[in-house]
Amino acid sequence: MASSGSGARARRHGEEVDVCIVGAGPSGSVAARYLAEAGFSVVTLEQGDWPDAAEFPGDKPEFELVAQKQWHPNPNVRDRDRDYPINTDESAINPLMYAAVGGSTTLYAGHWTPFMPSDFRVRTLDGIADDWPFTYEDLLPSLEAMERVVGVSGLPGNPAYPPRRAFPTPPLPIGKCGMKAAEGMDKLGWHWWPGTNAMPSVPYNGLNPCARRGTCMTGCPEGAKSTANITLWPHALKDGARIVVGARVREITYDAERNRVTGATYIDRNGRERHQKARTVIVCGNGIGTPRLLLLSACAAFPDGLANSSGLVGKRLMMHPFSAVLGVFEEDLESWRGPFGHLIESNEFYETDEKRGFMRGAKWGAMPAGGPLGTTGFVGSKIFDEGGRVEDSWGTNLHDLVDRRFGHSMVWGIIGEDLPEESNRVSLDPKLTDTDGIPAPKLDYTVSENSSNMLKFHVDRLLEASLAAGAIETVVVHQVPDTGWHLLGTARMGDDPRTSVVDEWGRSHDVPNLFVFDASAFPTSGGVNPTATIMSVSHRQTMHMISERRNVEAA
Amino acid sequence: MTTVSNEERAVFAELADVLIPAAEGMPAASDVDVQGAMLDHILGLRPDLAEAFRRGLSAAAGKPPADAAEALNRDDAEALGAIGIVASAGYYMTPAVREVIGYPGQENRPADPDETPEYVANGMLQQVIDRGPIFVPTPEA
Repeated sequence: MASSGSGARARRHGEEVDVCIVGAGPSGSVAARYLAEAGFSVVTLEQGDWPDAAEFPGDKPEFELVAQKQWHPNPNVRDRDRDYPINTDESAINPLMYAAVGGSTTLYAGHWTPFMPSDFRVRTLDGIADDWPFTYEDLLPSLEAMERVVGVSGLPGNPAYPPRRAFPTPPLPIGKCGMKAAEGMDKLGWHWWPGTNAMPSVPYNGLNPCARRGTCMTGCPEGAKSTANITLWPHALKDGARIVVGARVREITYDAERNRVTGATYIDRNGRERHQKARTVIVCGNGIGTPRLLLLSACAAFPDGLANSSGLVGKRLMMHPFSAVLGVFEEDLESWRGPFGHLIESNEFYETDEKRGFMRGAKWGAMPAGGPLGTTGFVGSKIFDEGGRVEDSWGTNLHDLVDRRFGHSMVWGIIGEDLPEESNRVSLDPKLTDTDGIPAPKLDYTVSENSSNMLKFHVDRLLEASLAAGAIETVVVHQVPDTGWHLLGTARMGDDPRTSVVDEWGRSHDVPNLFVFDASAFPTSGGVNPTATIMSVSHRQTMHMISERRNVEAA
Repeated sequence: MTTVSNEERAVFAELADVLIPAAEGMPAASDVDVQGAMLDHILGLRPDLAEAFRRGLSAAAGKPPADAAEALNRDDAEALGAIGIVASAGYYMTPAVREVIGYPGQENRPADPDETPEYVANGMLQQVIDRGPIFVPTPEA
């Protein structure tokens, strides 16, 4: 690839660059930052805007009210102009995402939970799903590099992981809520560890220390939650990377004669169609946006979607079905206080034990329960369930409920490994479009029996953990629909072009200058929140692209 | 922006008091004036609620408020839901109510990163460490 030295820039709009990246979420931003540093000319196309911390509602009284609409993580609920709609009529889980520089991490809870060694060897260990083309140990250097960018806070020595480098900032307080959760685990002799979070406890790489406001999931008004707009883009811009916000990519262009992609066509904020020429294209649109774009880019040579000779583009969608257990305690736990990342975590039941009636396992995270509106709703998008009698939820019962639960509740959330199935998939909706007329994605997704059994088992264990901690009341929310935070697997990586879309470096088996660096490429889902692994995989692939720059088959 | 008439405010106040009555040492919704400036503020923040909210008020006008709430619950749950959100959000955003329930709002309250955590000082975490590793290592190739 003919990168043009340190600080290379695209000089004019649309002028050919070394790399065009589609999407400025965690994976795309990692690629932009390090490619620019290495001297590649880089243009990133991002359909969202730069987030404005002053708009985040967490420091305003209406925080909980607007969290149910304008700041809801489900784009179909939020319905902002920059969001694209998603047909979820045939999906048991609603996908959650946010279009912005920083992507969906704008609204994430910042749980920093790297995949474990077994997650990369599911086929070898358990005889199901697939192994990854690399191991935990192969990825570890990139993980540790990313933690130094992200400013992870945490305590070293977690026996759920092999020995590894310490985190760059000390752990955040686990508060009364976390202590209560830990007491229950200790009584049962179960593993727990103070939560590692993508929010530093001291000033770090442009981030302020976490102030425990507890509003992570509507954006951090403190500038303390690690997102790419703060930790990566200032460096990338300094090194000459360009970013176009409000740019909706509708097609990756392809030259059949040379079997190379040539750039990306997008609609700018003013509705004009533009084309960005590039010698290489990296797609980082998340597990729904990436297959959507590849399917939108179908052409004569690839009638079923660009780079889709395997037929797997859009298939094997994994979303981590989610259940939660609320424990209510006599003591005042100040359970509106943050961080809203996990206070403590547990991997006690992470690995496979076939006697349980399912394969693989789940990670638990103990979290605070939010403000008074959150207390009455607990989890989900509606404050009160429809149906039943008025007095069930209202009247003196409302006061009783708030008196009993508000400040006294703690939530255990379950992230369970979702196994890949080709019937769970992303396709293009024949009718629905975004505001620029680009076809919207449609999901077909069923919660598998394995996932359902897994969640039931973990709910039962968490009821035991909550009671051991002294809960006087417990509430189970099973398979919550609005929890599709983790969008994985729809352009899987592997060694065999017949059974995978990209290789271990994210390069398309079909088109040598087309790459996928995001979680679409994950062969399996792990049973943990994936952002740490998403950033690490992108870092590993980016470093490989840099080291192989002389050998890349560019357009 | 939705303009709410005085008649609608009166209907809302009565319905809001059915949903959030004076009890358990708590004021009723109308006691903290959820039907006043707070109502305009809430609908300004959530204009998406206005249509169902006003539809519910229209259906409830002239009926005993408890009966009207039950009728909405049966016939137009979306409308009752909107009225409930407007009432409860306004109620719990009111400083006097927050004071009674002991909620200071989502505070900025930094912690001392150098403080030794209690779970370290009292030996709780050491028990976890002493039980040893629980991960399954990468199998040999």
